[in-house]
This record gives sequence, C-alpha cells and structure tokens, in this order.
Amino acid sequence: MSDLDRQIEQLKRCEPLKESEVKALCLKAMEILVEESNVQRVDAPVTICGDIHGQFYDMKELFKVGGDCPKTNYLFLGDFVDRGFYSVETFLLLLALKVRYPDRITLIRGNHESRQITQVYGFYDECLRKYGSVNVWRYCTEIFDFLSLSALIENKIFSVHGGLSPAISTLDQIRTIDRKQEVPHDGAMCDLLWSDPEDVVDGWGLSPRGAGFLFGGNVVTSFNHTNNIDYICRAHQLVMEGYKWMFNKQIVTVWSAPNYCYRCGNVAAILELDENLDSQFRVFDAAPHEARGVPSKKPAPDYFL
Amino acid sequence: MERAAADSRSSGSTAAVQATNDDAAASKLSCVNKGYMKDEYVHLFVRRPVKRAPIINRGYYARWVALRKLLLQFLKSERHNNDNIQTKKQILSLGAGFDTTYFQLVNEGIAPHLYVEVDFKEVTSKKAALVERYSLLRDKVGPEASISIERGEVLSDHYKLLSADIRDIQKLDSIIGLAHLDPSLPTFIIAECVLIYLDPDSTHAIVGWAAKKFSTAVFFLYEQIHPDDAFGEQMIKNLESRGCPLLGIHATPSLQSKQKLFVDHGWQRAVAWDMLQIYNEFIEIQEKHRIERLELFDEFEEWYMMQEHYCVACAINDAEGLFRDFGFSKDPHISSQSQKLHPLQIKE
Repeated sequence: MSDLDRQIEQLKRCEPLKESEVKALCLKAMEILVEESNVQRVDAPVTICGDIHGQFYDMKELFKVGGDCPKTNYLFLGDFVDRGFYSVETFLLLLALKVRYPDRITLIRGNHESRQITQVYGFYDECLRKYGSVNVWRYCTEIFDFLSLSALIENKIFSVHGGLSPAISTLDQIRTIDRKQEVPHDGAMCDLLWSDPEDVVDGWGLSPRGAGFLFGGNVVTSFNHTNNIDYICRAHQLVMEGYKWMFNKQIVTVWSAPNYCYRCGNVAAILELDENLDSQFRVFDAAPHEARGVPSKKPAPDYFL
Repeated sequence: MERAAADSRSSGSTAAVQATNDDAAASKLSCVNKGYMKDEYVHLFVRRPVKRAPIINRGYYARWVALRKLLLQFLKSERHNNDNIQTKKQILSLGAGFDTTYFQLVNEGIAPHLYVEVDFKEVTSKKAALVERYSLLRDKVGPEASISIERGEVLSDHYKLLSADIRDIQKLDSIIGLAHLDPSLPTFIIAECVLIYLDPDSTHAIVGWAAKKFSTAVFFLYEQIHPDDAFGEQMIKNLESRGCPLLGIHATPSLQSKQKLFVDHGWQRAVAWDMLQIYNEFIEIQEKHRIERLELFDEFEEWYMMQEHYCVACAINDAEGLFRDFGFSKDPHISSQSQKLHPLQIKE
C-alpha cells in the first residue's frame, strides 16, 4: 500500500494527517491543479456535489449514496470547509482523492475557500486547535488559490459555485482570469463564487451578501444561449429539499450538507448525470448519530437562549 | 401530554434550563466584544469568553434592540395630565438570569423607580454573589443594599433580586409584597426565553396572574415559534438534547397563538412580530449599516430561517390610557418590502 493510499484510509476514518504529510500532499496537489483550466472540462457520467462545509460524516453518507471515488466520477462545487467540525479531514480527504485519482474527481473553488472567510467561519480556528499552529491552514489556503473556478460537462452543463457576473458573458472570458490569488472583493472571479440567482430580479441586483450580484432569469437565458449550454449547475445557497430548479430549468442549485450546521433540518442532494447527461437527483439525510463515531466534541449548535 | 410535560420537568432539566443563563451571557459578551452593543457589566457574568458565529451575534443584537426599543418607550410614556410629575414606573423581569439591563439603565440615568428580578435560587444566588463581589455592580444597587447569597437576594431601594420558581403562583404573588411592587403603577414585565420552557398550564397561570395584578402594564415576551417545519423540528431536537425541551412551543406555535395566549388570559390586547420582520422593518437603517459592517456575514438563508423562528409578543393592559400608540413603528427610511433587494440595472 502506498503512502497516499494509507493516508486516504486514515482520512476516511476521520483522522487528520501529520503536518508534514499535509505539506507534501499540498505540493503534489498543486502540480495537478496548476494545469487545470478556469473552465475545467469534465466528462460524463459524473456526480455533482454542492457545499459540504466540514460535515465529514455527512460526506461519508454522500459517498455511500453516490458510490466511492474512483468508481464514481465526482465534481465538487466548492465550500468544503468552515461551519462544520471537520473541515480539516473533509478537505484533506477530497484533496488526497484528487492527487490519487486526478481524472475521477474535480474540485472547484467556493467562496469559503478563502483566507478571509475561513478566519471568520471556523477553518482557521480548527487548524489551530488540531495542529497547534496555523501552518496547515496556510498550506491549504495556498492550495485554494489553485482550485479551478468552474467546470464544463460535455460542453453542455456549466458548473460554478455561486453564479454569473455582469463582467462575464462568454466562457472564454472566464478562461482569461488569472485565478491564482485570494478571492478578490469584486470583479468576475469574485462574482462567480458569490452570486445568486433571484426570482424577483430583472437583470442584475445588489447582493445582500456584500459580494457578487443577484441575477434574474433573463441573464441566465442569455448566458446559456451565448455559450450554447443546456443549463447551469451551482451550489452556494441552502435549499431545504437538497436541490432546486429555477427559471424554467435553466439553472439548478445543488446542496450537499444535510442538517446544515447541525441546525437547519434540511435534506441534501447530489446530481447524477449519466453518459447521455440524463439527470437524477439523489436525496439523503444527515448521517445517523451512531455513524458519527465518538465525537471529541458533541455538536451543540447555538441558539438564542 | 400534560403528564409527559410534568415528567420532563425533572430537576435535571431545570438545571439545564438554568444553564441557559451562562450560554446567553457568553453570547451577549461575544456581541459586546464585537461592537454590536455596549454593556459594561456582562463580562462580569462570564467565566470563559467565547467567540460566537456572526449569525448568533446579529441575532442577540436584534433581540437587544427589540427589548430596548419597547422598554424605552415604556419608560418615556407619561400620563396626559398637566401636573408635570413624572409617572413612577416598575420593571419586573421573570427568569432574569444574568441580564444586565438594570445596571445599564442606572448607568444611563434612566432606571425606573423599581426594578425587580426573579429567577431560580441557584441563579439568583450566583447573581447576588457577583453583585457583592464587584463594586461595578454594587455601586449601581447602592450602598444601602442588603445582599444575601444564601437566600439569593439583593434588596435595595430601587432594585430587588429575589428567588422563586415562577411556576408557583402563590410564591410569585408574595414577591409583590416582598419587592414592594405597587400593582397600580405602570409595570413592564419581561420574559425572554422563559415561558417557552414551562408546561402550558404554568404559562397560562403566570400570564393570567400578571393580567389580573397589573392594570397598567406591558408584558414583553421573546421566544421561539414554528415547531412544525424542518428547522423547527431540528431546533426542538437540539434543545431537547441539551436538556431544555421547549415544553410550551406546541401550545403557542405561531404569532397568532402568542397573541391569543395573552388575550385569552386577561390582557386587553396583544401583538406579535417575528424577529425577521423586526430586524427588517423596525431597526433604524443607520444602525443596521453600522452593525452589518462589523463582521463578514455569509449565513443569509440560515439567518432568515432562524429569525423567523423567534418572535416578540407584546401584551398590554392600559387602564390609564398610557399605551395608546405602544409598539414598534416603521423606520421611515425602509420601504414596505423587505430591504433584501435593491435592483441595480446594469447594461448587458
């Protein structure tokens, strides 16, 4: 068994790697990711997954439902880290799978794969807690800069974490972005990771998130037409039923963190596309209590008490 | 149902409900440390400061503003006769926990004639001990205050901390005398996340008792609603697993039923709002701009859901016509639509 296979087995048990192993893994991952396009080509069949947010045991549930990698070809739409208790193990497992099976798993960047956001929403604190230093956070955030920004499945389905940008009308414009940087506060790269589709918006609207835009159905119609794609698949927003079509099936949101933050009570979904791009959603619940091993810290989500 | 409720009212769950004080105080301190609001006292009640997520900070802030707005309105309301004598006011806080409102009001020079706090003895003893220990608190209750940690009491001219299980109506009634509350004076009653932990019969009794006792009064309630959707079910499960089941939530699951709770038990009128509406419509836009810049915030779907699962209900007895326009008023700068959307046309 190679070191990498052993590390994958270890991570599957939700045991973090040593700091030196993380460093080596990140170096190898960087070599692979640097070659990827900002619009990474993906072949069907493929299974598309939305936000995970460090909910490791729920991601194991996802693999139970969707099949193991490399047997199943996966596309993850970002937001691997923050909020949940196991961002370290979650991201490292996905990264190790990427290094081991580069053609069977695609990871693109979410708005939480950022130095700034992870310092507010948990990943930074978790690294510090688990390793006693922020080195692992530093290695991982350096890798974040190399993650692709979007994927194109069989030239027909455009996949991105957040949504569209008023600065972008063609895929070629995305291809010209210099992505190897921290997520900027505005501009095309920021919008792809931050924007949301919105029913009542005509054209573009300001986003309450303070980054990215809201975009309406007409924007999606025109983007899909210009780029000759069937629909857009994105994540980024919690949807209680796990997935949600909008604008007459021109865009779909896929959400893969069940019972988000251990508080929201939602189900999760993944989108399976077969070789003909026929789609099937698989909806799943949070991992049962007994599947969560012996948690070092009992999930006690906060309320107003 | 009643039986099940009575059974789960074991001492274990009472201790867990009491422990919600520590949690709430820690969350309020997290808010204060981030600059959401000022409170020079809450740090004295927190042993280990923690950093809460932005959604929790913002939610505690919204609750603080909601109470503050109505409380200040109450303190300002005056009888419409021309004698220029300020109306004496009272505040009665049920299940007050480690709340610091009294100390803040004294600090701001707007404390009422009498402020009475009631909670379980386990809680009031700790609070009394802290008041005794820290001069910052002791100075506010005044030099003449008598403090008994053993009885869980602080008694001064304008502030009383007393222990009682508020489900015991006789005991609650005796508080009136012990605290020198004058039932004829305008009284503001606070119950933040308190009644929801009680079985419905106890809540009915408390609400009815207060209605009968105080003829000029405002009852301020802040607590959970909507137990029946996915978020609500999970909330109930999570709080149950902490040992504090929301025994009252199914009896008053909606805004309408919160209003009905009061009207059915003797109050002249009642109105309830969910916290999302309060945040969107009643908090000044400049204030929101200020606090929304304090932290990166990326929890919108969850924020909307969480705020929709908390409400403020406000019941009024107005024998003297003091509270004709009482309630929240809309910030004139906010349009009737939620301020979620500001369409910005950009040429494609």
